[in-house]
Amino acid sequence: MYYRLLRNDMIKGKVITLTTMLFVAAAAMLVALAAILVINLSGAIDTLMTQAETPHFTQMHAGELDLARLEAFAVQNEAVAGFQAVEFLNMDGAQFLFAGGSLADSVQDNGFSVQNEKFDFLLDLAGNLITVSDGELYVPIAYIQDGTAQVGEMVSIAGRTFTIAGALRDSQMQPLLSSSKRFLVSQNDYDALRQFGSVEYLIEFRLHDLDDLGAFETDYTSAGLEANGPTLTYALFRMFNGLSDGLMIAVLLLVSALVIAIAFLCIRFTLLAKIEDDYREIGVMKAIGLRIEDIKKIYLTKYIAIAAAGSLLGYGLSFLFRDVLLANIRLYMGESDNTSLAPILGFVSVVLVFLAIVAYVNGVLGRFRKISPAEAVRYGMSQGKAGGARHFRLSINQLLDTNVFLGIKDVLARKSLYITMLAVLVLAAFIIIVPQNLHNTISSNSFITYMGVANSDLRIDIQQTDQIANKAVEIAEAMEKDQSISRFAVLTTKTFRVKLADGSQERIKIELGDHLVFPLAYTDGRAPAAENEIALSVLNANEMHKKVGDVITVIINGKETTLAVCGVYSDVTNGGKTAKAVFSDDSAEVMWSVITAELVDPSMVDEKIAEYANRFSFAKVSDIDEFIRQTYGGTIRAIGKASYGAIGIALALTMLITLLFMRMLIAKDRYTIAVMKAFGFTNTDIKAQYVARSVFVLVVGILLGTLLANTIGEILAGVVIASFGASSFKFVINPAFAYLLSPLLMAGVVLAATILGTLDAGQIQISENIKE
Amino acid sequence: MKTLIACENVTKSFGLGSEKRNVLDGISVDIHQGEFVAVMGPSGSGKSTLLYALSGMDCVDSGKVVFDGADFSALKESELADLRRTKMGFVFQQPTLLRNLNILDNILLPSMRDGRKNGVQLTEKAKTFMEKTGIAGLEMRDITQASGGQLQRVGICRALMGDPKIIFGDEPTGALNSTSASEIMRLLADIHQSGVTILLVTHDVRVAAQTERVLFILDGKIAGEYLPDADDEARDDFKAREAGLTAWLTGMKF
Ligand SMILES: Nc1ncnc2c1ncn2[C@@H]1O[C@H](COP(=O)(O)OP(=O)(O)OP(=O)(O)O)[C@@H](O)[C@H]1O
Ligand SMILES: [Mg+2]
Repeated sequence: MYYRLLRNDMIKGKVITLTTMLFVAAAAMLVALAAILVINLSGAIDTLMTQAETPHFTQMHAGELDLARLEAFAVQNEAVAGFQAVEFLNMDGAQFLFAGGSLADSVQDNGFSVQNEKFDFLLDLAGNLITVSDGELYVPIAYIQDGTAQVGEMVSIAGRTFTIAGALRDSQMQPLLSSSKRFLVSQNDYDALRQFGSVEYLIEFRLHDLDDLGAFETDYTSAGLEANGPTLTYALFRMFNGLSDGLMIAVLLLVSALVIAIAFLCIRFTLLAKIEDDYREIGVMKAIGLRIEDIKKIYLTKYIAIAAAGSLLGYGLSFLFRDVLLANIRLYMGESDNTSLAPILGFVSVVLVFLAIVAYVNGVLGRFRKISPAEAVRYGMSQGKAGGARHFRLSINQLLDTNVFLGIKDVLARKSLYITMLAVLVLAAFIIIVPQNLHNTISSNSFITYMGVANSDLRIDIQQTDQIANKAVEIAEAMEKDQSISRFAVLTTKTFRVKLADGSQERIKIELGDHLVFPLAYTDGRAPAAENEIALSVLNANEMHKKVGDVITVIINGKETTLAVCGVYSDVTNGGKTAKAVFSDDSAEVMWSVITAELVDPSMVDEKIAEYANRFSFAKVSDIDEFIRQTYGGTIRAIGKASYGAIGIALALTMLITLLFMRMLIAKDRYTIAVMKAFGFTNTDIKAQYVARSVFVLVVGILLGTLLANTIGEILAGVVIASFGASSFKFVINPAFAYLLSPLLMAGVVLAATILGTLDAGQIQISENIKE
Repeated sequence: MKTLIACENVTKSFGLGSEKRNVLDGISVDIHQGEFVAVMGPSGSGKSTLLYALSGMDCVDSGKVVFDGADFSALKESELADLRRTKMGFVFQQPTLLRNLNILDNILLPSMRDGRKNGVQLTEKAKTFMEKTGIAGLEMRDITQASGGQLQRVGICRALMGDPKIIFGDEPTGALNSTSASEIMRLLADIHQSGVTILLVTHDVRVAAQTERVLFILDGKIAGEYLPDADDEARDDFKAREAGLTAWLTGMKF
């Protein structure tokens, strides 16, 4: 009897058995891939950073350099294992003219360097230290990969001809988030090029023990050494290197969680439906003295078979796809040391998926305990079944059409069955709305204000020149007269000393000016408006343990001045440690000035950029939109694509699951349908009842899904958005899509699936099915 | 007497090829308005199949069934359903009730399809029937909370709700003990008295003896017809009617 039960069930439910198995396979495959990627990524990053001997601490500095003082500091500081101050020759992007395009529009700081002698090596694709000859040029791997430059190509830079000898891996600067890109040339070529660009310094340290990094950072800052530029650390390099692939892994994990959830739902639905069908038989088995474990075994065997087949299939498939997904990691970072571990961990994670499924089935089968043999044999169902829907009675219903009533009643009476379908719809609504909202949010104009960048059209940087303050005033005066500029703000950054609670002093950069013209999005509080107020970036606030309402003591014009923290904002610019205030100061030296402006007609931005760049050759004029496009454009596009993909997947899923559910329900409900037909309900009536069930579940599903998408979804999306550097945000929702189009799409799909799935209802013969 | 159902040379078979068997093999019979007819015959002789054919629940292979002037073969599925709902009532051997609905709602189910706006009146009507059939008070119970005999009465109430011209019964007393069975028969007799035609498939001689006409089916054919009322002397004597029918059935080798 066991065997018969099992076989009949598998044959009758072919489609759903197969579907369940495929979902398990997909889940197992994704989990295995994620595991394999995690292992490879972390291994590859380690290998790359070990081979390249990435600095533990890098201070970028533009301006004069007192090498003797730095060396003295390095010698005297016990934590330091190695020190070097190397040059980076920043050149205008237009100088890099390749067959595949120029870097004129690049927002990256492109420049040259020579191979370092002590550490921070630039590597070739085999992971070896590059030895470069005169006339050879090594290009960052990203430019080779995107087709901008080709190996073997001849290029002319500042009048010198180079042959591109190969691609280089740069453990420090190759991630997109790092704003500079190093090209490698020989010392002779470098010396010849030097006059055509501006030199910046990378002041690099390696420590004996990485754990001392925090203390070392403090030492460096308090020594008042060169610090005109971002400070970067080993942990940051690691994070930058892992970011894009890490995001991919996160997405994989998310998708696999989803697929596992769906596999579980399929299992739950078939299992519950089966238990409902077999109620009497289970009761009989209990009545004749079989133990619950014995009965469970019959059902468990089936799912063990499905789960095992699915898991193995999924593990097999993961081998097919792993190379595609690993390609990027291999190209940018090389092979990982622990590759042999990856398939093992992949297998272990697949086994975990398998065990989770078996445990879940076992849990659902726990319901057997509640089946009373007497009830089951006598009524073929448990008593008080209509429980929750008791008060929903036909006799008092005047509002709803009888078919609609019967549909809803069925859903309420068999809640546990329909919850499964509900869950699928909620999930689908969720996967449709969240990526769409995320895409909307990050592609909206205001999004950059979550990252410390003002939402404007034009940005002018005045750096590394003398008389910055006067030059800023000069530009401001020009803008004042310019009719095409609707508003602008001049913000000047200076370094101040801050007195900490323990009496020690630290330097911070404070940006002074009117912060209300182009307001940022504040995580907490608001922009400074009064002289005695200051806003801190998230990183600074965390480091100084300050929150809104606290005070800090800053030395201004030689006097200790108490400022109230009025706001905290996230910032990705200038290493993320910034502050904003409005007080006036003449004492401190100006580090740089930024002028942001909005145009009356934004389409004139190219023209204006050219005009100001011409007129004020000392300034760097850039287009904010272009900046966003280049820095985040790829990611925004990818998320956009992913969000459309998600819509497709969610709708396909909704279709598939609804169709399966409806077909199974029709098969299960043969008897009920036959009874209703005998008593004069038409096929149309029956279909209407099923449509009513679907629509009812659909409405609840969409409501719940939308609610969850805007709560949990926002939190989840926050993880992605945090990777951009924004620590808080609000969804920018496109209401027409989220509240109109997406429900309509889902409703359309569910209705189509229901109608398709219930086509068979008309075929049910009364005479054959009415004998219970 | 007016003909309610005219059935002409109806055949129906199941199975294919050599397996193929005529379950109904050229049946012609008229059911008149107001009649109380019993269909008897050995198990597997085609009684239920005939009932499904006469009520339009199953289509036939050849021949013609005309119900109240309407030829089944010319009707669409939905029109057949309408006919069943408005002019026929059914009582089966098993209660055939829906699990999700309580007893009152089960009774109301077919009539509520069109009469939802008259829910209050229909509920009143259902309660009257429940009282008449002796199950008043069970309205709100689940179907698992009533006995087999009670559920059979629920089925009868449901059949009555649409004021049908005819009630088809497929062994409605088959699953009941003799006390319950005779109570159900008394109910059906009352219903017949009020003018409703009744067609009853039964194995039980005592049940059939209370009807006006007994059709005997054998291998898909009508093998004979017996009129218990024809014998004037035995007409009102229950025992004598039963004896007469038994004798006839024995003659038919039942
Ligand atoms: N759907 C079907 N497929 C194949 N054969 C069928 C089908 N329905 C009924 N039969 C066969 O047709 C014959 C008549 O069946 P029917 O149900 O009409 O018999 P019955 O006279 O009502 O018997 P019983 O008194 O046992 O209820 C039987 O031999 C049965 O096996
Ligand atoms: Mg029968």
